[in-house]
Amino acid sequence: MPDIGGADLFVLEFGDILHYYTPYTATLFILAAIFTGLVIVSRPEGQIDIAFGGDAYYAKETAISEMRFRRFMAIACGLATMGAMGSGDLFNFTLFASLVGITNVGIVAAVKNRHVLDAAYEYGIVAMVATLPLFGGAALILATTGTLSIPALAAGGFAVPLIGRGLLALGVIGEGMAPFYAAKAEMFRAPGAPYVIMCSLSSLLIFLRVVEIVITI
Amino acid sequence: MIPDYSIGLLVAFAAAGLAFYALMRETDGLHRLLLTDLIEVVTLAFIALIGTDLAEALILPGLVVGVSELIALSEIYRIKEGYTLPPGPGLQIEVMESAPAILAALLVIYGIVLSGFSGGAVAGLGVIFYFLCRDHHERFELIETASGYSWVFWIVAFFVFMVFPQYWFFAVMLAGSAILVKVMAKMSLIGTMRGGPNA
Repeated sequence: MPDIGGADLFVLEFGDILHYYTPYTATLFILAAIFTGLVIVSRPEGQIDIAFGGDAYYAKETAISEMRFRRFMAIACGLATMGAMGSGDLFNFTLFASLVGITNVGIVAAVKNRHVLDAAYEYGIVAMVATLPLFGGAALILATTGTLSIPALAAGGFAVPLIGRGLLALGVIGEGMAPFYAAKAEMFRAPGAPYVIMCSLSSLLIFLRVVEIVITI
Repeated sequence: MIPDYSIGLLVAFAAAGLAFYALMRETDGLHRLLLTDLIEVVTLAFIALIGTDLAEALILPGLVVGVSELIALSEIYRIKEGYTLPPGPGLQIEVMESAPAILAALLVIYGIVLSGFSGGAVAGLGVIFYFLCRDHHERFELIETASGYSWVFWIVAFFVFMVFPQYWFFAVMLAGSAILVKVMAKMSLIGTMRGGPNA
């Protein structure tokens, strides 16, 4: 099997389940850690909307309670992303990916605005439906090979079904769908800039990780 | 002869196809939320098809993810549509005054006899029923504290398993009763969800 991650830098074993970092996943982990740190220290933006055709503008305020909830969700999202980067167990990875999906919904849905909530609801349904291919893919791989350990699957000797890999990738795409809702401008028009970044970053990182997993196993 | 697993897989894929088709056709927001639950069930079927002890262990997190997403989405839907608590008292019927105490007591006692996860679920059902029928001005902090401590005991029991395996019986008892309290406390919160001030 092609090894695109590089040699193991660090392995933490809990019996069969292990966490490991290769240069590839360690880079992604550090990126997630940096952005989580940024979310912790930064303050929400004071967004200003210009009324078209005049000099007037609206200054939007972010309430303290809303800001705290979104910051908590963004930090949780960062932690879930970091977990997904280091996990060496296929099912743990799918759980971390679905956690990323839930926290992404939470980051956006804290804004009490009808349009934002509409977009968050649509995305939430996609994220929820995506657990079918996500867990289904992991379950198929477990049923056909008898193991969920990524290093064991990467070592070869198992016929990992193509449909299992496909479902896994499809599930992660569904969970990390948030950036594609950027087309729905409402979702990102919500004030509180640094937290929404976490949606895009976590989606990007879990995509990169699932590509590595699907190629390696 | 087709192996059982393949037949089950075929049924699960067919069910998934039906569920996705229904979701594609449906336009009403609430109905789509309910249909996602249909897909969650198929997800659990996929995991259950593995049919080993491991599958049993994997179903629980899968179920938790599904339920938590469902609760979060229902909350978003409720706020999105602007639904609030109906004014005035709710349903007032005689059976909701007299039955809860007896039924809840029976279920809780049977749950304690069962102990563990299933016991917690049975006892939790009794408590949910009680809170649903009676007033729900209960003490949230108390329930949360009990749940938190019992979770700690559960984890302690696992450490006993790993570090002092010779005391396994003590650890089993500790884990069994702690998980009973934890599941019961968590489930009882569901009975109090009515969009009140502290919901």
